Amino acid sequence: MTALVTSLGRSVLALGRELGGLILLGARLLHALVTWRRGAPDARELWSALHRMGNRSVPIVLATALFAGGLMAIQAGTFVKKLGATGLAGWGAGYAVLREIGPILIGLMFSGRVGANTTAELATMTVTEQLDGLRALAIDPLRYLILPRVLAMTFMLVVLTVLGDLVALVGSSIVGYTVLGIEWSTMYFSFADNLAPADFLHGVTKSVAFGGAIALSSCHFGISVRGGAAGVGRAVNASVVSSAVAIVVLDFFLTYVTA
Amino acid sequence: MSEREAPLLEFRDVDKAFDGKPVLSSMSLSVRRHERLFLVGTSGVGKSVAIRLLIGLLRVDAGELRFHGARIDELSEAALLPLRRKIGMVFQHSTLFDSMTVLDNVALPLRKHGGLGLAAARVAARERLAAVRMEQHAARMPAEISDGMRKRVAIARTLAMRPEVVLFDEPTTGLDPVSARHVDALIAELPATAGVTALVVSHDLISIRTVADRVALLYRGRIHALGTPAELAASPDPVVAQFLAGRSQGPMDTPGF
Repeated sequence: MTALVTSLGRSVLALGRELGGLILLGARLLHALVTWRRGAPDARELWSALHRMGNRSVPIVLATALFAGGLMAIQAGTFVKKLGATGLAGWGAGYAVLREIGPILIGLMFSGRVGANTTAELATMTVTEQLDGLRALAIDPLRYLILPRVLAMTFMLVVLTVLGDLVALVGSSIVGYTVLGIEWSTMYFSFADNLAPADFLHGVTKSVAFGGAIALSSCHFGISVRGGAAGVGRAVNASVVSSAVAIVVLDFFLTYVTA
Repeated sequence: MSEREAPLLEFRDVDKAFDGKPVLSSMSLSVRRHERLFLVGTSGVGKSVAIRLLIGLLRVDAGELRFHGARIDELSEAALLPLRRKIGMVFQHSTLFDSMTVLDNVALPLRKHGGLGLAAARVAARERLAAVRMEQHAARMPAEISDGMRKRVAIARTLAMRPEVVLFDEPTTGLDPVSARHVDALIAELPATAGVTALVVSHDLISIRTVADRVALLYRGRIHALGTPAELAASPDPVVAQFLAGRSQGPMDTPGF
């Protein structure tokens, strides 16, 4: 019993420590943004992060979005064909894609690819003292390394989500036509007549929140790593898990608040 | 007191402990302008800790650190940034940024502090690399060059900030004898060529004999002996004699053994 309570207490303390670290990092980043003039993010680092995190994620995100859109068309199509309401197939698929599936799936893909990569990179820099090396060169790692990555991750997840949404709608239309026999024009008008800008913006808002959460989590676990190679592995694992949990929890609250 | 003898850097009764285990206990030491002071001692005795305290990578538990007579141990992280441009550090493992070429590693402080654009910073960095005879490796990545080369690049990168003091953490450890002497030569010429004061953490007896102006032996958390290499070599103190002779037998206890 004592062991159980001790273990529970340790877990709560560890969770509190990580949450505290995340909040502190978020506050320091906000401060760095507000005091932009004292040291703007390094343009080369920002550009490089945008390229690495955005451009190189495009193929995998588009492939995921294409099939996710098709999947939604199949799920919606089964019911609308039963009811003879094929004019609603596009709405069913598009609504799910824009508001939920697009941001969540792309967020999870982004977390697995970019978030994990960022944690591994920062954690390796930490254990090999490259972060201390930066500080010794009178360069603030927060402004030079972390801020550009956080900005790039948040911005690029929004861009990828918008791109992914479009491709997912195309995927829905392809599957609607080839598998369910729904005309292209029917799908198009189903999207155009039933989907509102609010549906699109709802998803975009979520992608901003997810991008921020992934960025914060991946950077926090990267710079707070302890130990050598094993520590880097643990940090990446913690970053991916916490990002996934954050995405689902944020999704619930954002959906609940705007429902 | 002449300007040369006036302390540039000072440790005053500095204490530092980790997990309740004291590493430095009332350590006091003054570093004079333009000298090459070697801080020596056995592994784990706290030499690297001492120099990390100077640039705020670690914080003192008690005591004072002074630079040009002003306290620096109480500075905030933001206030430490300008100080670190005056007190540079070359780490034991060089800490070159492995995502950048050798040239861009040296260009980084020039871009961030020298007000130079990328092209101009690269031109200036090439000159700095030439000074350590590394210009032909400018386009290579840090992982593609040897430890000795990395150390020379790290020295060039630190000197690019034109610091007043450079702290070296075991600069010759892990290097072959030839590379080690190349690094020694670079450190030896620093006061004359760059007007730089060097505080060198080392247990390389050849470096100590050939480069040091003064040697401070750190033992049991404080400076046990201080003097020129010749003075220490003539010292009757059994701890000093054991360290300089590199003997395992003697009064000196070695952490971990």
